Amino acid sequence: MSVLEMREVTRTFGDVPALRGVTLAVGRGELVAVMGPSGCGKSTLLNLAGGLDLPTSGSVSVEGADLAGVRDRAALRRGAIGYVFQDLNLIPSLTAAENVMLPRELDGVRAGRAREEAEAVLCEVGVGEAADRFPGELSGGQRQRVAIARALVGERRLLLADEPTGALDTATGDDILRLLRERCDAGAAVLLVTHEPRYAGWADRVVYLRDGRVADATDTPLESAR
Amino acid sequence: MSIRHGLLALLSGGPRYGYQLRVEFEASTGATWPLNIGQVYTTLSRLDRDGLVTPGGDDEQGRTLYEITEKGREELARWFATPVGQTDRPRDELVIKVALAVAAVDVDVAEVIQAQRMATMRTLQELTRAKRDVADGAAQRLVLDSMIFKAEAEQRWLDHCEAVLRERKA
Repeated sequence: MSVLEMREVTRTFGDVPALRGVTLAVGRGELVAVMGPSGCGKSTLLNLAGGLDLPTSGSVSVEGADLAGVRDRAALRRGAIGYVFQDLNLIPSLTAAENVMLPRELDGVRAGRAREEAEAVLCEVGVGEAADRFPGELSGGQRQRVAIARALVGERRLLLADEPTGALDTATGDDILRLLRERCDAGAAVLLVTHEPRYAGWADRVVYLRDGRVADATDTPLESAR
Repeated sequence: MSIRHGLLALLSGGPRYGYQLRVEFEASTGATWPLNIGQVYTTLSRLDRDGLVTPGGDDEQGRTLYEITEKGREELARWFATPVGQTDRPRDELVIKVALAVAAVDVDVAEVIQAQRMATMRTLQELTRAKRDVADGAAQRLVLDSMIFKAEAEQRWLDHCEAVLRERKA
């Protein structure tokens, strides 16, 4: 079963179509990159995949649950989906560990256990030593690792990444992609939006969106929307 | 770039025999430049003729070890100090193909561009996979990085072509 499955998804804003029938699946252990010119529908696609928005027609399922039919989408978003965005970053007045604990505490996990989970996942992504430091005391690459830890904590298996390499230099950006790749190899499903071909190169499959449609993909498992 | 300078660079680290040079050459260039052993020996004998290396005796298995000479070190230093000129590189076939597609009638340039984009993206994926497999070896990694940067530049240029052509059409 795919972790994320989008079927014939369309999304229209007023009478402006942003997506026009996109079918796309991301399985366990798979890293899929979405590329395309600005305005092609990349952000809309990611918002729909993460349940931040609902399609005009078509369906989006995460781990078998159709998002349109889920009563508490906020809980599903927190429990099943991790987000790594370029700007939506860490809360500056919380330490790295506290940032990672936050979504778990919202889910009602006790502080002690949330703390243990946070420390474990920070170690997994290679910034265990930064647990008690504040975001302002970390390098850009370390901050992004903490953001990935926050996205992964609590066994979330779908990771949505929007330009996660932001303003990082290429060597640090490569490290971030290597990390996402390792999480994939450990069983996560990752949907990555990027405009940088070098980072898309880490994906199992690269999907090109144009004018709200899948224009092309580098591999066969994808069902074209045409 | 010549095999000569490649071999001199390896020999600057100490005496080596022919087969060893071939293996190390391929490893450090990320296997992007396969050599056959004949090329290695031909090059070594020319380097010897020019006084840049000297056969320094045999190892215990009877293989001839070559050593770099002082003149060889000077030549290597000169080569490293000389930047590579644009004219030393071959013409780019893709640039010519796209230019001709624009000039020709009845060619869908957008299709030429898209086909190339997907091919280059696949290359990027392969290069990235190869890079992941490099456990250690900075030289090999940097060679792959160079190829990744080139493929990336090609993608950017293709995007640019598409944008410029769309603007002209509009």
